[in-house]
Formats: sequence, structure tokens, C-alpha cells
Amino acid sequence: MTRLRAMASDVGSTPLVGRADLVAAVRATLLDDVAPGSTAAVFLTGESGVGKTRLLRELGQRLGDAGALVLTGSCLDIGDASPLHPLRQALRRLDADLAPAAAASVRALLAVFAEDATGPDGAGALLERVSRGLSVIAGGRPVVLVLDDLQWVDRTTRQLLLYLLAGLGDLQLSVLAAVRSESLQGAHPLRRVLTELRRLRSVQVLDLAPLDRAAAEQLAAAVVGRPLVAEAVEQLCQRSGGNPFVIEELSRDLRDGRDGLSDTLREVFLARVDALPQPAHRVVHAVAAGVEPVEHWLLAQVVGLPEQDLLDAVRATVSHRLVSGSHDGYRLRHRLVAEVLENELLPAERAVLHRRYAEALTSAPGELHQARLAHHWRLAGEPERALPAAVAAAEEAERLYGYAEAHRHWSVAVELAEGLPGADRAALLGHAAEAAHHCGEYARALALLEELAGTDTDHPVCELHIRRARYLAAAGRSALAEAEYQHALDAADCTPRQRATAAAHLAELLLQLGRYAEAGQRAREALTLAEQADDATTEVVLASMALGFSEAYRQDPDAGLAVLRRALATAERAGRPEDVALAYLHLAELLTGPLNILEEGVVVARRGAERVAELGLGRSYETRLLAIATNGLFRVGQWAEAEKVVAAALRHRPSGTDAVELLLARCRLSVGYGDVQAADRDLDAVATMLAGGGARHVIPLLTLRAGLAMWQGRHEVARHAVQRGLTETRSDDLVILAVLVWHGLRAEAEAKASRTVAVDDKAVRRLRQIADRVAAKSERAARPVRDVVDGYLALCAAEVSRLDVADPELWGRAAAEWDHRNHPYPAAYSRLRQAEALLARRRRTATAGKLLRQAYQMAQGLGAVPLTDEIRTLAGRARVVLEDRGPLGATAPAPAGGEELAALTAREREVLAAVAEGLTNREIGQRLFISERTIGVHVSHIFDKLQVRTRVQASAIFLRSRA
Amino acid sequence: MSERVWGPVHGDIVDLLADHPTDVPAVVDHLTKLQDMLVRLPPLLDSCPLADFNKLYLTITTSVLDGLYADRFVDPVFLSRLDVEFAARYFDALRLWTDSSPSTPKAWSCLFERMRGPDARPLPSAAAGVNAHINFDLPFALVTTFDHLESEPVDGSDQHRDYLEINKIFADKIPGLRRGYLERWQLLIDMLNGEIDDWYQGELIGYTRDVAWRNAQRIWRCRHDPHRHELERKRLDETAAALGRLLLSPLGAFLQ
Repeated sequence: MTRLRAMASDVGSTPLVGRADLVAAVRATLLDDVAPGSTAAVFLTGESGVGKTRLLRELGQRLGDAGALVLTGSCLDIGDASPLHPLRQALRRLDADLAPAAAASVRALLAVFAEDATGPDGAGALLERVSRGLSVIAGGRPVVLVLDDLQWVDRTTRQLLLYLLAGLGDLQLSVLAAVRSESLQGAHPLRRVLTELRRLRSVQVLDLAPLDRAAAEQLAAAVVGRPLVAEAVEQLCQRSGGNPFVIEELSRDLRDGRDGLSDTLREVFLARVDALPQPAHRVVHAVAAGVEPVEHWLLAQVVGLPEQDLLDAVRATVSHRLVSGSHDGYRLRHRLVAEVLENELLPAERAVLHRRYAEALTSAPGELHQARLAHHWRLAGEPERALPAAVAAAEEAERLYGYAEAHRHWSVAVELAEGLPGADRAALLGHAAEAAHHCGEYARALALLEELAGTDTDHPVCELHIRRARYLAAAGRSALAEAEYQHALDAADCTPRQRATAAAHLAELLLQLGRYAEAGQRAREALTLAEQADDATTEVVLASMALGFSEAYRQDPDAGLAVLRRALATAERAGRPEDVALAYLHLAELLTGPLNILEEGVVVARRGAERVAELGLGRSYETRLLAIATNGLFRVGQWAEAEKVVAAALRHRPSGTDAVELLLARCRLSVGYGDVQAADRDLDAVATMLAGGGARHVIPLLTLRAGLAMWQGRHEVARHAVQRGLTETRSDDLVILAVLVWHGLRAEAEAKASRTVAVDDKAVRRLRQIADRVAAKSERAARPVRDVVDGYLALCAAEVSRLDVADPELWGRAAAEWDHRNHPYPAAYSRLRQAEALLARRRRTATAGKLLRQAYQMAQGLGAVPLTDEIRTLAGRARVVLEDRGPLGATAPAPAGGEELAALTAREREVLAAVAEGLTNREIGQRLFISERTIGVHVSHIFDKLQVRTRVQASAIFLRSRA
Repeated sequence: MSERVWGPVHGDIVDLLADHPTDVPAVVDHLTKLQDMLVRLPPLLDSCPLADFNKLYLTITTSVLDGLYADRFVDPVFLSRLDVEFAARYFDALRLWTDSSPSTPKAWSCLFERMRGPDARPLPSAAAGVNAHINFDLPFALVTTFDHLESEPVDGSDQHRDYLEINKIFADKIPGLRRGYLERWQLLIDMLNGEIDDWYQGELIGYTRDVAWRNAQRIWRCRHDPHRHELERKRLDETAAALGRLLLSPLGAFLQ
């Protein structure tokens, strides 16, 4: 084996040509430029043979030498073989390399994958445990995860990557992955993921180009061992298209005097296969039939050659560069080798190879044990032996929440069971349907269910209807789902519990469809049915939720609340933790949502959070309840408290939707505080999570991006975020649309005020049209929705006036709306604008002062820094004293500027600052709320005192004094 | 080994393609900029065959954007994602062509090759682009979009309705563009052929868009199987390329 290893490493002995800059850049991105606790990723895409694997190896080594913990794995192309396979493979490799003491933590993490799942949020808990495990193994070092052939990554690993890259694992982690670009051309899910990630600062997608002529020449010379004549280089470049793998192989032929025989890579490989001695033929065919890497012992058993003959044969395949060997086993050097070999074996010969693999693996459990067994037995043509392995592989995948992989294995099992007398095909169909439903293959789930109904004619009818309805509802096909629930209720074999289930779910469905009256009626029926059935607390909670919300929407808040409170008591009595948690969740949502009883909603959410933590549901439900509390606290203006709560919730390291909601909640606070860095970090983290899917959170993300951009004066960024949001919002999402339109109009109004960005008249026209549409539609909406929408529409109308002449009355109306709703943040903002409008008209300055002081107090109370700054600036310009005590000088910023400006009064300094901005006297007058003539007087005083004659000279002095 | 396939506007096009638009307004912006560059491309300049397609595509995408703002679609999330993903395929093809990559879809390269001349008739050029984009790109764009939105291509769904709504935009836009291309001899052919020309433009798109939906459903079923998926991709590429070559052949010019 040692000789083999030496030979195998010959593969890597060719110099890495033409990639020096890239290596340095990637190293910097993944290690040197990563702030402690942050994450980064580089995705290398390129055609096969362009040198991705080689680069990964080179980079992995360098990053390891620089002190990072490097984990290396590759994804497999036998479909969704097994969830998290590349990570598990990487850990096993690490385990093999480490000293036993250090390996303990690796083994502990590997053991996590073998354990049975617990809890309702098992998938998230698994991600959390994996990231904790990685953190222990890393022991403070940065972790680099190197993944090859990412185009074959399983869904669970994909989610893990996004989770870790979003920083949710609390781990300094970098990802270096290679993706074959050919695979991305089709409908690969990574396409979208990469498009979204590309935009983040911490992620780079590098497209590896073929080598240029000089590099190709250098590589060829290194392989051949001498410089090539120009003609040969030209020919090489043409044939290879700059692909380093092809250059290397063609150069080798050239070196060995086989030039001219092989025009294409395919011919190169064909010629080599033909040249192999007979035993080596057997080896290369065996490797091709195996799941890579094929371990040496396994190959030995499959090929069945005496030891020395086997070694010689393997040597031949390696030296002909058809197979490569590394410490974990053998692989074909290129996919083309497999294609070349494909037509060389008879089907029977191939089946024999697979049988030998299966037999050898049966006695030796290892990596991907069941999946590989199923694979080989199936291809060996022995379905009865493949079936139990497929079932075991499916169960293993389900244990790790890899429903996509499970679905695949169950489907194989269903196929295998066809015609097998002893197999329970109906049960397999049932499992396959459920797994398909869980991984979002709804149409497939429904088709499997139909097949089940056809196969097992005795299957209970009601159960089938309920399942069908569940799948249909999940697929968003509400009308059909509704009909199925109705069929379930009408079915003769429906048990009282099932009846309650169907009615409660039907009520929930109707609620989502906005058919509140029917939802309420169904919910009442469901409650009656649930009370008659045994052990139907879950149905009681669900039906009460539907009833509570439908009553709230139909303007009977007290009745709705009473129902949900009763459901909570019922759940507590029955004692099933999930029911209690759900009851708290619905109650808190009802209070903070449609009822807008924020303080009580927050109390309920926090009490619920404590209670569900006691019940052992901290990770899942506590997180969600705390998210509700955070958002409630934000709205009532208790930001400091909200900050604490969101931090507590994030300590659970939530994943998926829960994580996204909390990050958005925290980001909302950061935007309010004006903490740009923190807000940006959370926006990037959310974008990372959403790269994996989750359209419903895109709009809040865009709204926050717009809000942040406006505080930064980047109004065109805000405009763009709003535009995107408007093109991706359903017209019945009135609240979301109203918020977006307000942001859009505000961005235009701010653009106008700032004078740095031109107003987009077309955008304004469009925004006003959409505002009108929202207003018209909200007339027909339920009261709670209308209330919120009215608040935003008031802001919209007022912003529109700002684009012309700001109307203080419109702003007063907006302030009143938000005061009424008890949301101080928009109320303070409206007061600021109202005061500004009054001052601009030089009317009722006393009222303006009062409003500014109120706004100031509110903004100070919140900690809203950018808003406070704007209020201060306006107050300074209008000479309004914001705080009761102390003279003006105490609150105004200390006089800026050096000696030269010492002679100027504070007012003159303000005027000079505006002059330096290039404003005309008229514009300065508008800004400082004094007449144009008065400004003229100030300007002449300034000129006298500074002994200058032009505005340019005065400006120069001002700018110099600030430098 | 890359040559400057875009001649004097090579740098501009490379820079433009380095950015990957993620929303519909950005796609329209991209297509607009691309149009400005393509008409500066020698030797054909204003009669660049790709510019003929790009112009049509820009017009249609602008209509889609207006439709999104004007509440024309039931599921704008779906339609926006689809539009972006659809356009990404076109930009991908351009990028591969820029790199002289052998992986450039054949469906597209038969049109790209014509940029060097000889002068092609605008209508067949635009039709060849529409053919590549709809027959080859669209099914994959649909699958990626559904996959990302955790939804599925189901007949009669909101998404399907929105998808069909696009047919109307094509129907609206194409006769208008066609009139822009009217030439004297074409009038003659129109008179001789009556409805054929309309059928050729109108029906072809309606029909192929339906085929694209069916193909998306086919790909959807095998999207987890890299091998079958690749076969499907090759098949669609071959078919679209064959049709594209036909459109760009003298027969295509004759149809105009």
C-alpha cells in the first residue's frame, strides 16, 4: 500500500499552474479577512476537469497549515443517499487523522447521528447539536468546511450550511465548496441559492476559467519535462480548450510518444482501457460499479484476486491514470472513464459485481451501510434482499429528518416490493406518501396515496380523506382540501376524534382563506365534536384558535379572547405540552396581532415562554413566543426590554423560520437604534437563510433594508428595495403593501429633502396608484386589518404632501392614528414631520416647538438615535429648546470650527454651513425657517467678520476650519 | 483562450454579465443596458440578430413588470421569481458564449453564431431567440422556481394561471413588433398567406409555452436524478437547436 500511496500522490505532483492569485485571494477571504465569530464562504464553480478538486486540496492544506481546523468531505451522486453524508464523511476522516484523545469529541459528534430523535423541533435541534459539536472539536480554532461536488449535496447538508453561514451556529466558520458548473445549467436547486448568496459581502462565487495560453504551455511543459514547440502548444490549446485536466492527459500522451492517436479525452481513456492487462480490467470495472471511495478490502473481496495480483492490477490502473487511490479508497479518475466502461460489460457481468459488493458489505457495516446495500442488491437483481436495506435506509434518513432522502428510499422500496409476495406494499406506500409530504413533494404524496387506496381496498376511508386534505392544504390547493375535509366528515367510518380533527382543520383552512363567518361556524362545530371525543385536546386548541381569530376579525374581540383562554385552561388540564404551547402561542398572536392589545399580549407571550420552557419545549415554542414578545415590545416602544428578550430567544440557536423571525426582530431594533453594522449583519444572516427558500420573509427583509438605507441617506437603495417588494407582494396582503408604499413614498420625500438624489416621478405615480388600490380594498377588509392599513395610509398621504408642500394637518392625522394604536415610534416620527411642516410655513411656531419636544421625548425614550438626531437638527435650525432645563447651549452641539469662525454667532455659523453646501439664500431660508432677506443680512455679516467677498471664499474658510 | 467575442463592447458586456440581477426591475435594467451594447456590435450594428431578440424580450419583460405593479397576477412572488430565473438562463448563455465555452446551449449558439453575419432577417432572429428561451430555458426556470418556492407545477393552480397570462403579453406584443418590421415584400407575403404569419408568431408561442409547462412537469419528476435530468436537458437542447436552425435558415427568412 505504501508504494500505491506514493503513486497516488503522483497525481498531485503536477504543479498548480495559473491559479496563484486565486489561491491567495481565497485564503484571505476564508481566513485572514474573517472577523472573529464571523463566517465566510467561497464557492468555486467550473466545468469538470478545470481543476476544482485540485484547488480544494491545495487550499485545504494551506488553511490547515495556517491554523484552521479543516474538514473535508465530498457529496455523492447516488441521489440523496443519506442526510449529512459529506459532513459525516469529513468527521470520519478527521477521526482517522487525530490522536485518540482529540478524537473523542469527533466520536461524540458522530454519535449524534446515530441517536434517536427527540422533541418536536428535532431537525433544528439536530443542527444545533452539530454546530455545538463542531465548536467543541474546533476548540477555538476557525473551522473550514471543504466540500467537493456540492452539486450532489443533500438537502439537510444544504440547510446546515446556510444555518452555519448565517452565524446561527455561533461558530467561526468558513465554507469552501466546489460545484460543477454543468450541473447548474439545468434546474439545480443550488442555482438559486448561489444567486442569492452572491450578493452578500461574506460570500464569493468564483467561476474558474480555463487556463490561458501561457499557463497551458507552462503546465504542459511541466508534465512533459521540457518546453514544447509552438506548434504543439497551439494544438494542445485547441484540443483542450484550456482545460487543465485535458492538457495534463494529452501532455502525458505526448511525453510517452502517443501523440496524434487521441484527439479527445474520450479517446485517451479508451486507448488506456484497451492497453490494460486482464486483471486490471477487472479492477477498473469493479471500481466503476462501486460507490466511491471503494475501500481496498472491499475491492479485494469483489475482485477476488490473490493479494499480489490485486496489487499489481491496481498499480496498472493507477499508472494508466484511470483510477486514483487515496487513504480512504479508490475512485475513477474521471467521469469519462465510467462512460467509456459503460458499454464494455454485459448486464450479467455487472449484476455479478453488484452481488459481490452486496455480499461483502453485508458482513461489514460501514459508511452509508444500508443505502449502499440497497443500491447493490437492487442492481444485482435481488429485490427481496434489497427491500429490507431500502427500508432501513429510509428509516435512518427519517431519524435525521432527511425526508427527501427518506422519500427516495421509500419509493425504491415500493418499486422493489412490486411482485414480492411477502411485502406489505400498502404500508410502504403509506410511508412513502408521508415522507413525500414532509419534503414538499405534494403531488407525489397525493399520487402515492391514490396508489395506496387502489392497493389496499380495505383502508379506512376517512383516514385517507384526512390525509389527502392535509397534503392538499400544504400544497396550497385550498378548494380541493376543503372538499376532502368535507368528505372525511361525511365518511361512514369516521370516528368521533377524526370528525373533530377534520372539522378543526377545516375551520383553520377557512380562517386562512379569510372566510371568517364560516370559519367560526366550523370551529364551533369542531369544539362540540372535540368535547364529545376522548383525548381531543389538540383539536380543542386548534378549533379555539380558529374561533378566536374569526371572532376578532368579525369585531367581537372579547368573545374570541374568552374562547382561547378557555382552550389554554383545557390544554393545561389535559397536560400535553404541545397543546399548552400552541394555546399560549395562539393567544399571544391574537392579542398582539388583530386585537392590538400589546401590553397584555407581551405578558402572555412571556408567561407562555416560561411555562413551555418548564414543559421542555424551550427550543421550539419558547423561541416563537419570545419572538412575539419582542415584536410587541418593539411596537409599544420598550426597545431595551425587547433587546433583552430577543437575545434570550437567540440563545436557543433556533433554525429555519424561527431563526429568520428573530433575526428580523433584532434587525428592526438595530434599524431603530441606527446601529448600521448590527442591522447589516442581521440582514445578511436573514438573506443567507432565505437563500434556501422562504418567500414570505423576503418582504420584511426588504422593508428593513429600505428603512436602514434611508437613515443612511441612501435613498436610491431604499427605492430599489421597495420596488422589488412591490413586484413580489400579493395584492391581498394589504398591510404589507401599505408598509411598502409608505417606505417608498418616504424614500422619495427624503430624496427630495436631501437634494442628493433626484425624485423618481414615475415611482411616485406608481406608489400613489398602489396606495389608492390598497385604500379601496381595505374598505372591504376586516376591522383589525383596516385599522393597521389606515395608520400606514395616513403616513402615505402625509409623505405625498412632503413631495410638494408638506401639510401639517396630514402629519397631525398620522400622529393621531399612531397615538391611538399606541405605537410611539411612528407617532414620534409623524410629530417631527408635523413640526417641520408648520415651521416651513412659519406658522404656529409655538405648536411646532411643543410637537418637537414631545417627539424628542418619545424618541429619547425609545433610544431611536437617528430619529432623535433629526429632531435635534430641526430644533437647532428652528431654535427650539428641546429640554426644559438648561440654556440652549447645553443641548446644541458645541460650536464647531477653529479660531477663524470664533467671531461668528451660532446662527451665522449655521448659515455659513448652508452656504458651504451650495444653497441659495432662499433655500437657506426654507431650511432655517427665516426669511430670505434675513439670510442676506446674516451672509453680509459673515463676509464682514471673515473679511471675504464671495461665498466661495467663505465656504473655503468654513471647510478648512472643519478639516 | 478566450477571444473577444463581443468586439468593441466586450468589456462592457463582461462587466454587465458579472452582475446577477435578483428582481424584475433589475432584469429590465439589465436588458436595457444590453440592448444599448448590442446595437453597437459590428459588423451588423442595428441589425444584430441578437439585438432583435433582446429588444423583443425587453419589451415583454417590461410588460411583465408593469403587470406586476398593476396587480395583473395572482401570485406575484411566483411570477417574479420565474421572470428572474428565466432571464438568468439567457444571461448564463451569454456568459458561456463570452467564455467561448463548449457548454453554451446549442439552442442559443445557433443564434449567437449569426452575430458575425451574414445579416439575418429581424423576425426570424427574434423568433429563434424566443424559441431557445421558451423551448429550452423556460422548463428549467419553472422547475427551479417551484423548487425554491417549495411548490409544484400543478395544472389549474394560481401559478399556472399566471403563467398562461404571460401568453397574452406575448400575443399583445408580437403583432406590434411585427408591424415595426414590415417591409414591402413582406406585405406581399402577408397578402398571399393570410393568417399563416399570425399563426406562426402567435400560435407558435402559445403552443411552445404549453409544451414548456409539460416539459417542466417532466423535469420536475426526475429532478433528483442527475442522470435522467441531464438526458432531459440534452434532449431539449437538441430539439430547440434544430428548430432554431430551421428558423434561421432560408425557410425562416421566407416566412417573414
